[in-house]
Amino acid sequence: MEIINGFLDAVKGIYESSGLVNLNWQNYAMIAISCVLLYLAIKKQYEPLLLLPIAFGMLLVNLYPDIMSPPNVELLTQQQADAAGFNTAGHAAQVINGVTYYENPTYGGLLYYLYQGVKLGIYPPLIFLGIGCMTDFGPLIANPKSLILGAAAQIGIFVTFTGAIFLGFAENEAGAIGIIGGADGPTAIYVTTKLAPHLLGSIAIAAYSYMALVPIIQPPIMKLLTTKKERSVVMEQLRPVSKLEKILFPIIVVIIIAIFLPDAAPLVGMLMLGNLFKESGVVDRIAKAAQNELMNIITIFLGVTVGATASGTNFLKLDTIKIIVLGLIAFCMGTAFGVLFGKIMYKLTGGKINPLIGSAGVSAVPMAARVSQKVGQQENPGNFLLMHAMGPNVAGVIGSAVAAGVLLNVVG
Amino acid sequence: MYLSAVSPVMNAVGDMTLSEKGISSAKVILTGFVVVFAVLVLLICIIKIYSAIVSRAQRSGVRVKKKKSPEKPLPAAAPAVAEEITPDGDPDHVPEEVVAVIAAAVAVMYGGREKVRIKSVKRSGAKRSAWANAGVLENTRPF
Repeated sequence: MEIINGFLDAVKGIYESSGLVNLNWQNYAMIAISCVLLYLAIKKQYEPLLLLPIAFGMLLVNLYPDIMSPPNVELLTQQQADAAGFNTAGHAAQVINGVTYYENPTYGGLLYYLYQGVKLGIYPPLIFLGIGCMTDFGPLIANPKSLILGAAAQIGIFVTFTGAIFLGFAENEAGAIGIIGGADGPTAIYVTTKLAPHLLGSIAIAAYSYMALVPIIQPPIMKLLTTKKERSVVMEQLRPVSKLEKILFPIIVVIIIAIFLPDAAPLVGMLMLGNLFKESGVVDRIAKAAQNELMNIITIFLGVTVGATASGTNFLKLDTIKIIVLGLIAFCMGTAFGVLFGKIMYKLTGGKINPLIGSAGVSAVPMAARVSQKVGQQENPGNFLLMHAMGPNVAGVIGSAVAAGVLLNVVG
Repeated sequence: MYLSAVSPVMNAVGDMTLSEKGISSAKVILTGFVVVFAVLVLLICIIKIYSAIVSRAQRSGVRVKKKKSPEKPLPAAAPAVAEEITPDGDPDHVPEEVVAVIAAAVAVMYGGREKVRIKSVKRSGAKRSAWANAGVLENTRPF
């Protein structure tokens, strides 16, 4: 009889701790959403390197919410400790209202610990280190004017900030929402963790979704704002850039940005360090490690834990829908301002600059540059805009890091 | 639950009056616009200046080297290939061999299953030579 009772108690305990009892409808809705995202990542291959871990993190946290629970200290009386089979010897005790409580520390969930890299702003700069190793700033050095386009595409961030303020978000939240317009995942995460960490899940998911949708969102805006003549401009070949210029570039940029805008220093500093690894040519091993192993490991941690912030109760809110809509507006505005400034430069240079490269000013490297190339080739198949678009594209990375620094400074 | 670990939910709605909202947004737009452009324009100037310095230094370096070790003049380069003069004097004329090669390439692309008719072959106004195009393709393929 005792054996059967024990067995029944055990089954009851397992049932009570299972998801069947503990999960609410929001969790089930999020499980369904994460399965859709997994489908998009695997079957449609929308940014699978990020979307897959994000979707799986989302799935995990909604199946087992405690995987993100922080460490805690449980207070037990002697009686409760005895009942739970907890040995109080060696544990700190507190006396509250004449009753002695023993402290029983519990550990946090796996993803809680991995999430600290996001929360403390460690992962995004490390991703920037890897991006720096992979980025060739040559086209930007050859045509420094493209920095203007990288700046223009950031205007969307600040305009969306206004939209968010008027939709009822607080200043810090509006800043984090606006940064989606920079189309730069690590920057968006970095700024959000500093300004409005409770919105991280929705902002990260909006930012990465729009980055994956760059080839769908950008071309209609680009075509709408340009004439056929402007789109078919063939640009002059870029001048070759010497090795010395490439080596000096990261050093000069980091000095200037870190002095004038220290808030942007972690992101720009790591980006430029990575770039110096690459261009110096003397630390090949480190450069390879930063852009392959380190970046891949951080991507896994970042993806899974960002996904894990999207728990049902946290994500399924009206605010999330507002963020997704505002993010889209930010993104479209960034593209539009980039193209419009491209048009101004087209006029000022007497038709030498193809305005299509302006849309690449939103970061999203190299996808946005590829879109400029593609739209340009639709008008003239012999037109190669890619290298020209890489200039504004990498300028956009610097631009969004600077914009992030401004936001952190003004509303942080 | 773990929400408390992520962050306390901040005051989101309705704390600011309409004019406060306007002032706050104008402040951010103005600061953002001015600072982002100022920093990037500063970068443009600095890139231009140091590029000029570097290229001048390198050019003078090359000149000094040349003075030190005067090399024998290279044999005159092969004369540039003169523009093909076609029998009918038309600069846009495409030789028959080239048409045959293009037709073969098109046939291969279509897999040889469909019947393909080539209506015209025109010299494109491309500014790059075939070699330059090949170079561009080679460099842009990773993207």
